[in-house]
Amino acid sequence: MNLNDYYGRRLLVGRDDTSRDHFPALQVLPTIEVGPAMIRCLRCNHQTPKTVAALPRGEYYCPHCINLGRVSTLTKFYHVPEPNQFSPVKPVLTWQGTLSPFQQRAAEAVKEGMKRHCHQLLWAVTGAGKTEMMFAGIAAALERGERVAIASPRVDVCGELYPRLQAAFANCQVVLLHGHQPTPYRYAQLTICTTHQLLRFYRAFDNLIIDEVDAFPYAANPALLFATRQALKKDGGCLYLTATPGETLLREVRRHRLTVNYLPLRYHGELLPTIKLRLAINWRKQVKRQRISQGIIRQLRTSLLQGHRFLLFVPHVADLAPAEKALRKNFTAEKFTTVHATDPDRMTKVQQMRDGQYDFLITSTILERGVTFAGIDVYVLGADDEVFSSSALVQIAGRAGRSPQRPTGNVVFWIAGNCRNVRQAVAQIRLMNRKGRKLKSELSSLQ
Amino acid sequence: MMKDYMHRYKFLGDYRLRLVFQAELSKLVRARAGDLVVPIPITARAWQERGFNQVTGLLVPGTYQEVLDAKEKDKPAQSSKTRRERLRTPQPFCLPANLDVVGKRVLLVDDVYTTGRTLYHAASLFKQAGCSRVGSVSLAR
Repeated sequence: MNLNDYYGRRLLVGRDDTSRDHFPALQVLPTIEVGPAMIRCLRCNHQTPKTVAALPRGEYYCPHCINLGRVSTLTKFYHVPEPNQFSPVKPVLTWQGTLSPFQQRAAEAVKEGMKRHCHQLLWAVTGAGKTEMMFAGIAAALERGERVAIASPRVDVCGELYPRLQAAFANCQVVLLHGHQPTPYRYAQLTICTTHQLLRFYRAFDNLIIDEVDAFPYAANPALLFATRQALKKDGGCLYLTATPGETLLREVRRHRLTVNYLPLRYHGELLPTIKLRLAINWRKQVKRQRISQGIIRQLRTSLLQGHRFLLFVPHVADLAPAEKALRKNFTAEKFTTVHATDPDRMTKVQQMRDGQYDFLITSTILERGVTFAGIDVYVLGADDEVFSSSALVQIAGRAGRSPQRPTGNVVFWIAGNCRNVRQAVAQIRLMNRKGRKLKSELSSLQ
Repeated sequence: MMKDYMHRYKFLGDYRLRLVFQAELSKLVRARAGDLVVPIPITARAWQERGFNQVTGLLVPGTYQEVLDAKEKDKPAQSSKTRRERLRTPQPFCLPANLDVVGKRVLLVDDVYTTGRTLYHAASLFKQAGCSRVGSVSLAR
């Protein structure tokens, strides 16, 4: 047995397990609180009616977080308080890149907040270079001997972060943890994991960074907010990174429970492309009859004529095939295809789009974040559909204007009527651009 | 599908899932039942870890008789063995000495039928004890 497997973690063992009794450092912690009508899981904090959670012979289990291994009254936790047994090797930060002056400013603010173990929000627009901006703060924390984690609700975000972080902190032990992970857990100073995995930790981290905090399923999941809190040391700091904070986080900001730093400019120093709204009533009906309004066709054709490729978002997977058929009639020479979340060729198609083998892609919300194509335009058919949250819409609009060669781009949303999510997305982009203009003029007056 | 179900129910231990097939399996058992409906028991160790017998969970409470005992305290699970090892498994069950089943019809119930070794062992015990007929029902194979 490796005692450091238990540092800052809670590991489940059988209630009657005595095999580890000769380790005085091990603490035993309870798993379930049994109330009069409900039981409360002490791992995920979920409450379940006794009738649902009951096992035979008067025992109970938590059905809610069962995928992480079943917590029940038949088990107990072993835990060792985090001892911060690290000896950082210098240089801690091996990343050689540079930050733009406005990135630098945000990075300093983040670093300062992490030093004071603040709970802070970094609201950085899509394509601002958030990851690089954390580096200085993380490096300083690691040098102080702190244990740090970066968690994201999305597995693919974790998978993308891991090699970048390992390269940036080449002298540091970095470990990647998620549900489909074949490699076992390892005690490391820097952990990258899904937010679900945080439930396995207990008062482990001096600083915790939650990336893409607004992404499903974190936003709507109080259990994961709980996971964040309990994975942190009592005096630990937490940094939320997002391009599109949802209502919950903004409320925390208004109540001054969360300090906020803005990064309203993209890494190339330009503003976000603004959303143009156009009316498209009955588009779905038309598309099913393999027709599409001339206004839409004209707009799409404009992009292609100007030599720009584009993404066309539709609300549902079921809209993909009819839209493709309708567009085939009008775009006979162009190369395009559809892509959705469970598409087996998703990766290939995305890569081929990147390589310029397609003129455009018709897609469901799956390409809303984390995917970058240089210099594209972005169109959304039925942006007022309820599948598009305001943060999804901001993310979608943020696919445009990512390259320094073409820092702008057309973003057009076709809607059938006024809608709160669209309005909020437009307002968020407007707000960031207002702040962006201010920052630009401040910086130019300094020079 | 069935594999996923079994994984979640039996190995993750999501006891709620017992209800998924309870009505259907109980109907089948009722149709075939003789004098005794006997679920295959689990070991004391499984009781400690899983906390429930996955077979009785599949049956409506009060419709079965738990007369069979699991003998070994620590038998390795059948599902962890190869087919060959399974077939060589020694008799894992015993019947209480005072149980009189002479001339009775017994229906054995198990969750998964793979090589049939488990049910065969249980059946041979009941036959030796003088049962007139021994049948079996299992949820999956």
